[in-house]
Amino acid sequence: MLLLQLLVNGIVTGCALGVVAISFSLVYSTTRIFHVAHAGVYTLGGYLAWTFVTHGVPDPLALVLAMLACTLLGAFIQAQLYARLERRGATHLIVLIASLGALAVIQNIIAAVYTPNILQFPSAWAARVVSLGGLRLTFAQLVTLGISLAAFAGVLLFAKFTPLGKRIRAVASNPFLAEITRLEPRTVYIYVIAIASAVVCLPGVLVPFDLGLQPYGGVTPLLTATIAMIAGGVGSIGGAFMLSVLIVVLQNLSLMVMPGQWSIGITFFIFVIFMLFRPRGLFATG
Amino acid sequence: MNAYLEVSGLRKRFDGLQALDGTTFAVEQGRITCLVGPNGAGKTTIFNIITGFLRPEQGSVAFRGHSLDGLRPQAIVAAGIARTFQNLRLFTDLTAMDNVLVGLGGQFGEEPLGAIFRPLYAARVQARRRSEAREWLAHVGLADRARERVRNLSYGEQKLLTVARVLATGAELLLLDEPASGLSAGALDQIMALLRRLQQEGKTLLMVEHNTRVVQQIADEVLFLHQGHLLAQGEPSAIIADPALAEIYFGGAL
Amino acid sequence: MDFLYSYLILAEIYVLLGLSTNLLVGIVGIFSVSQAAVFGVGAYIVADFLLSGALPFLPALAIAALCCILLNVLVTLPSLRVAGDYFVVTSFGIQLLATAAFTNWTGGTGGANGLPGIPPPVILGITLADTSQYLEMTTIAAVAGCLCFWLIMRAPFGRLLRAIREDELAVAAAGKGVLRAKVQAAALAGAFGGIAGGLYATFMSFVDPSSFDLDASILLLTMIVVCGARTLAGSVVGPFLLLALPQALSLVAIPTSVAAATRQLVYGLLLIAFALFRPQGLLGEKL
Repeated sequence: MLLLQLLVNGIVTGCALGVVAISFSLVYSTTRIFHVAHAGVYTLGGYLAWTFVTHGVPDPLALVLAMLACTLLGAFIQAQLYARLERRGATHLIVLIASLGALAVIQNIIAAVYTPNILQFPSAWAARVVSLGGLRLTFAQLVTLGISLAAFAGVLLFAKFTPLGKRIRAVASNPFLAEITRLEPRTVYIYVIAIASAVVCLPGVLVPFDLGLQPYGGVTPLLTATIAMIAGGVGSIGGAFMLSVLIVVLQNLSLMVMPGQWSIGITFFIFVIFMLFRPRGLFATG
Repeated sequence: MNAYLEVSGLRKRFDGLQALDGTTFAVEQGRITCLVGPNGAGKTTIFNIITGFLRPEQGSVAFRGHSLDGLRPQAIVAAGIARTFQNLRLFTDLTAMDNVLVGLGGQFGEEPLGAIFRPLYAARVQARRRSEAREWLAHVGLADRARERVRNLSYGEQKLLTVARVLATGAELLLLDEPASGLSAGALDQIMALLRRLQQEGKTLLMVEHNTRVVQQIADEVLFLHQGHLLAQGEPSAIIADPALAEIYFGGAL
Repeated sequence: MDFLYSYLILAEIYVLLGLSTNLLVGIVGIFSVSQAAVFGVGAYIVADFLLSGALPFLPALAIAALCCILLNVLVTLPSLRVAGDYFVVTSFGIQLLATAAFTNWTGGTGGANGLPGIPPPVILGITLADTSQYLEMTTIAAVAGCLCFWLIMRAPFGRLLRAIREDELAVAAAGKGVLRAKVQAAALAGAFGGIAGGLYATFMSFVDPSSFDLDASILLLTMIVVCGARTLAGSVVGPFLLLALPQALSLVAIPTSVAAATRQLVYGLLLIAFALFRPQGLLGEKL
């Protein structure tokens, strides 16, 4: 029973992480920027939603408002930071450093305003438990599962069928060619980061329902998500999502044999295995 | 019979494009051989495979009777083959002398322990290597530009520097990727004279070249590549005069 | 006077860290946020040896250096074989893993409470209990570190690293081992970091995980970016300048509860500002 419960918990959290992974993958495979500041957007989303909720805004509206804010933040980072750096011919390393700087700024503004202590969502409905034949799931978990799967499907459909999605995929598969055709990669980059920031706000709000909000709590999920993206194969949205679920399930199952604080070791171990034996990941495209 | 450089049955595919489709040819020692053909024919891919930067799906390369398959670029340079790049790939922030020194082997102090614990010995070895590098620079006609940063050199001088760098590796088979392209008439003559001199000194040259005048003047043999395999092989005058090949090269379908 | 000595000692320890970070990030061009992890490993190893009385200071320091060399080599070898961005993941992973280890492996590291009461170093029979004596030691260490750095950059190894930064494909085509050079640079960076850690542990006589976390790595990056990457001057001035920053900040009325966050915020802003407007830092060459 414990095994099954851990499995189910892992699947739920894994799906949430999967959304982080696919949003990061969108940005990385299109702009080739390792957008570590994404962890900051994730964190900000949660905190903004909390602020709205504690001021009486209904939960769904709070989520939407937070997503809006994240979208703006993401677009701002791309337009004002990354685009400027690109215009100045900045090296890849400099862009990474700038992204890290942005992450530090976001996280520490949050820490200064909200204190570094863990905050909990006051929503009562979240903690209500549903029993399914011996398994216990909180409402928050159910909502997380539902929204994460919906987001996954949404991003997949978007990428495959909408004009913008196809444009994004075109830019991603051949940035050089995109430059000299009418695809306008610079504009696409802004759209991509804006969309990815909105999407990552979802787990940014949902995951803290369970674990609480912490200013520096975005880095570890982002790290796990990037490892899932790499192991799944850069460019494969499905791969990133599935590997996220797999990694978190493995982490959860490992709780049966080792304490939870070492679970990052599991993730890292998986990463090392892939680096040694299959660096391109399982489902890489192009 | 073991040819000097033997390329057999190379197959390489990129993302749906069959770049090389069973390429086979041999290069004789001491000759200047030119690889010609329209863009996309696979010439640079062949270079990349011979020098170990790409693995072919099928086929093999042998040098002096020994297989080069699976060797890393450093090992292939050690075996005696070195290449230049069509886009030069010089170290622009370094001086001409430094660029040559990067190619020069046998340097003490090219790893940290020696550099830290035996600095005086390292400096002595460096002094010797510097004069060697100066000789290579003089050999290509850049003796007085040794201490200039690469970005201050003219395009023609930069091209000469790529040759100096490749000579410094001590390779006997030189793969030159468009050594004459983009040069003014004076620089062109200088490079062609240099290439002839290298041949006289015993080097073997395999060149990718688009300039038909250059090919005519210095090539001993021409290999015409099209769509990933060898279409024709022979003396320059014969290949250049062939109307069917000209059609492919200048006007036909790619 | 003691206060000034403490600042100088700490700055000199950070000079070693600055050299280490500069080697990796500035000269080889590898994005590393795990420098603080290496720093921590060195500190905890020396602390453990001195607290248990198993080894005197210098041998403990040597072992710490060796372990950190090994750590960096093991970390860089697999990940440098593949694309550069993958090293970013490795680096974050190492740093987070190290912080987890420092916080949870209470047997070796005392967990979140750290290891107090680390005895002062005893070198050649002399106990360095006095701050001014300690300053002599760190000054020697910092000067030795700078000397090593200077020798390396003058030597063919330095030229090789600069060439690798520019165009590692061309370096491989010239017949030189690129991966080997990168790993050697990482090993050296590890040695510097480990020694800095050992010095830090005995100076503070107390170590805990908070000195070796991601924020600390970000501080190290800031030192290099602000003061100058790829140069000796940048590695030396950076620590002195940035360690004076908290003092400058304390002149502004910031409540202590947000002091740490404010410091980190300033570092983040500095990183962004210099990346945008002056990537070569105050004294360095363009990153």
